[in-house]
Amino acid sequence: MSNLKRTKLAEGVHFNSVSDNRFKTMLIEANFVMPLSAETASANALLVYVLSRSCREYPTYRALCKKLSSLYGAELSAASGKSGDRQLLTLTLTGIDDRYALDGESIAEQLSSLLCSVIFEPNLNGSAFLQAETDQERRQLLDDIDSEFNDKRVYAIGQMIKNMCSDEVFGIKRYGTAEQVKSLTPEDLYAAWQNVLRTAQLEIMYVGDSEPDKALSVFAEAFSGIEREPHKVETEVIAKAENVKRITDEMDVSQSKLVMGFRGERALPDKKAYASQLMAAVLGGTATSKLFCNVREKQSLCYYCAARYDKTKGIMIIDSGVEGENIEKLERGIMKEIGDLKNGEITDFELEATKLAVINSYYSSNDTVRGIDTWYMNRIFEGEIKSIEEMAERVNAVTKEEIIEAAKLLTLDTVYVLKNK
Amino acid sequence: MNISEIKSERAGDSYYKIDHPSGLTVYVYPKEGYNSAYAIIGTKYGSVNTCFSLDGGEKITVPDGIAHYLEHKLFESEDGDAFARYAKTGASANAYTSFEKTCYLFSCTDKFDESFEILLDFVQSPYFTAETVAKEQGIIGQEIKMYDDSPDWRVMFNMLEKMYHHHPVKIDIAGTVESIAEITAEKLYQCYNTFYNLNNMALCVAGNVTVEQVLKTCDRMLKPCEKHTIENFFEDEPYEIVEPYVEQNFPVSVPLFNLGFKERAQKPLNETKLAHTDILLELLASSTSELYQKLMDDELINTSFTFELFEGPGYCSVIFGGESRAPKQAAEQIKQYIAEVKKNGLDKAEFESARKSVYGDVISSLNSVGSIANTVTSYHFNGNELFTYIDAVANATFEDVQNRLSEMLDVNNCTLSVVKNGEE
Repeated sequence: MSNLKRTKLAEGVHFNSVSDNRFKTMLIEANFVMPLSAETASANALLVYVLSRSCREYPTYRALCKKLSSLYGAELSAASGKSGDRQLLTLTLTGIDDRYALDGESIAEQLSSLLCSVIFEPNLNGSAFLQAETDQERRQLLDDIDSEFNDKRVYAIGQMIKNMCSDEVFGIKRYGTAEQVKSLTPEDLYAAWQNVLRTAQLEIMYVGDSEPDKALSVFAEAFSGIEREPHKVETEVIAKAENVKRITDEMDVSQSKLVMGFRGERALPDKKAYASQLMAAVLGGTATSKLFCNVREKQSLCYYCAARYDKTKGIMIIDSGVEGENIEKLERGIMKEIGDLKNGEITDFELEATKLAVINSYYSSNDTVRGIDTWYMNRIFEGEIKSIEEMAERVNAVTKEEIIEAAKLLTLDTVYVLKNK
Repeated sequence: MNISEIKSERAGDSYYKIDHPSGLTVYVYPKEGYNSAYAIIGTKYGSVNTCFSLDGGEKITVPDGIAHYLEHKLFESEDGDAFARYAKTGASANAYTSFEKTCYLFSCTDKFDESFEILLDFVQSPYFTAETVAKEQGIIGQEIKMYDDSPDWRVMFNMLEKMYHHHPVKIDIAGTVESIAEITAEKLYQCYNTFYNLNNMALCVAGNVTVEQVLKTCDRMLKPCEKHTIENFFEDEPYEIVEPYVEQNFPVSVPLFNLGFKERAQKPLNETKLAHTDILLELLASSTSELYQKLMDDELINTSFTFELFEGPGYCSVIFGGESRAPKQAAEQIKQYIAEVKKNGLDKAEFESARKSVYGDVISSLNSVGSIANTVTSYHFNGNELFTYIDAVANATFEDVQNRLSEMLDVNNCTLSVVKNGEE
């Protein structure tokens, strides 16, 4: 049983809400789900940022910011993300709950209609967005793309995925490429906007104390005139790696990075993907995991060595920062822990501790507005709307044998090393 | 035992302050309807406390990075480490060391009493041997190197080095690979016995708990401490900065900058001054401000732009920073703008908007048990109280903020630090 209310507004458009009076803030969010594709990824990404800058009513970025500021520092954020072979375009508005307004005004209502305005009534110039707005956001996005290189941990993981999935949709970045971003015109964005409104799966989420009826009707009306042909997206899963790809880049850094990508065979909607996810947590998801206890605590090789399983795509990534001369030793240490797991070496303590940690994180997520939002959005994208209790039961039901079985399916696909010169 | 309730009509919340007979100050902030509880115990001891004396004894100087090293090692006791114990309760545990404090924390949704007992137990049970100390060298060495590769971290410390002549705030929290090599079990005990006295510490629990529940475990677990006198020594720090500019070549594709205004540092700012400063900075540099808009239009900053008041024992500064393709021009424009508003005065409508914005932020922060527990603890170490701060924000006037501006942000006393790719 979940406490999510879900209403269909149009073909592929749902309004979801959770009423909760424990918080001092509310959130309203629009998630557009598009197929990830090399042709459209950049336009979609730039579009969502341009939408978040202004609208007809608040035609400049500053005017919009002032409006948000007057609503007690409400925040509007935009993001382009990726989940499996889907691109997720998100516009989120958060603000304080009506009860805390100093002058008794309704913030929830104003934020709901503001979200509609930025989506449906952008600041247009005929059949194009404004050149200046486009250029300003283009510059930001290009900086974002470039600054990925500034964080070497993020950069190394990105390089691994790029190499591992070079022939797959998943290898496309969440913003496409810098070259495409540079070439986009205000007309291209208009076309992307039209396309998103017509073909995206849209999930609107509302978390707050005030009744969401008003917001619901505003969205229902907005979509009443739009003909919808929503996409359905499935993620390609490659079950096994054929041979190990090895890539080494050299750079002037003090710490080397080792990133290993594995194929895990199982991905949603296969329920066994949940066992694979728990397997990765046993391996390197907690401070009592095999990697933490052995390669960090016993061998003192690194400060972090984390494993996580992408259950949408069916791959596992392990990443660590290490002294250049110890890279091979670390790789051997990691492979030994995986080998042990494949051979059935997992204690009751390891399994139970991991389950407790995972379930604790589930229940904690229910104590923040953002946590509730993320919880239900993830469940919707996974195709099953489950409550925390139901998901906790599922985790508890995973057996040692299923963990070992999931580990046995792992095949090493790609090893990426960023080596210090 | 003195238990006092601290209440805020505005925020609709209340919490309790308890002077525990063991010497520890305990705060309990119940949150109705929450699943989780978050507990944090901290000591007023951070990376800057490298020279001190106990009860008027001799002055002791310890290696840079020792507070952080101690934080890592405290998790270990004779019969295993605290993470393994927490693993049985499912709590999510962590710790951090900052310039002025060291904190140990956990959050959980079940078995709070068991996890709380683990926290209070291991923090009061140091166990350091030559062997366990040596083992940590490799791990912390890699932590230091990870930060060496972080341009955000480098750009800040380079700035602090050129801003402070003597103050240890300019030294990396984790120390250096060389300085941590000097750390011994004996030195760790010396620091532990000085700073981990319950009278020098504070505890805050927020969330799904009651005062009775927290005190029951406290009464059983806390070992009473004799109050002792700790004196921290800092060399006299001149008002003036060291150098106005510093740059480092680094593999980055977008250059970064930090522009720090050195402020006079005496006692920590009280709630009222803090409120006025926060509103002032919001007014000057938030995304709503004229300055931000101008910097954006001229393509001198991007959305990574931030500003903060950076304050602790013996140091205080205001830092503006972020990515920029033209850091020197960005800094010049910020300085110019500040000089202008100092001359011409602030805008009243913008003040009102900034006040609401800061107020909304602090009210929002009361959603999160983690944020509450960390803030209450930090405020305690500075002698401040959270709800008093909220009232000060709500009651701030235009004149207050205008006056605050006249006391700070000296455009002739700031340091610009830039990290950029050498080939550019």
